[in-house]
Amino acid sequence: MSELQGLGAQLSEAEQAGVEIIAISPDPNERGQQLAEGLRLRYRFLADGDLAVARRYGLVHARGGPDGQDVPRPATVVLDRDGIVRWFSVARNFQVRPAPGDVLRVVRSLRDEKG
Amino acid sequence: MTTSTWLAALSALVAIGAASAYVLLLGVAMVRNHPEGYVIGFALATGLAVLAVARARARRWPAWLALGFTSLVLIGGAWFNFVGARVPDTPTTFKVGDPAPDFTLPDASGRPVTLADYRGQKPVVLVFYRGYW
Repeated sequence: MSELQGLGAQLSEAEQAGVEIIAISPDPNERGQQLAEGLRLRYRFLADGDLAVARRYGLVHARGGPDGQDVPRPATVVLDRDGIVRWFSVARNFQVRPAPGDVLRVVRSLRDEKG
Repeated sequence: MTTSTWLAALSALVAIGAASAYVLLLGVAMVRNHPEGYVIGFALATGLAVLAVARARARRWPAWLALGFTSLVLIGGAWFNFVGARVPDTPTTFKVGDPAPDFTLPDASGRPVTLADYRGQKPVVLVFYRGYW
């Protein structure tokens, strides 16, 4: 639940900025969808059930879940139009998210680049 | 009500208030990103309970009850924030300036979404999160 509020707080403003926001978690799709509708967010929820993508990015917290299962490390990665990583932040404490202002600043500067 | 009982009640109130405020204000980045705030609130509550015990004369149980409650909450909260919620700082496989590793994952309707399809279209923000259990 707290994860969801963090996402909402952080991204509701960013989504108006002409970017694609992709939320990735091991959750089943239906739950992400319900969440998005509940929050009236337009970003896409993708299901990474076996953490294959989190693993490819080096974002797995081994046995970090409440039942000792592997979970993603909360992270925000900003890509430019060419798919190049321009900024990222990985949580050191899973309660904490990057400051919305930091993410928005990067997103706005990329949006204003030519293209 | 004696000063001790009054302090005991206040300490419980501060502890409950600190936890409630954090949960209620999770949507506020300033609050959310400073979880040590609730730990400080719990420490303050425990301090008030210690004062209550020190002041207790005839009726001591409210002060001791408050001290037991607040110190449990303080230990639990501090453990959660400083130990339980820690995420190991292992390296990522990418760095700033690298092309993001491509992937294809199903969206909410089961349709596959490929990251590379956004190339040349618009900037992308990837948000990895733990999910909701």
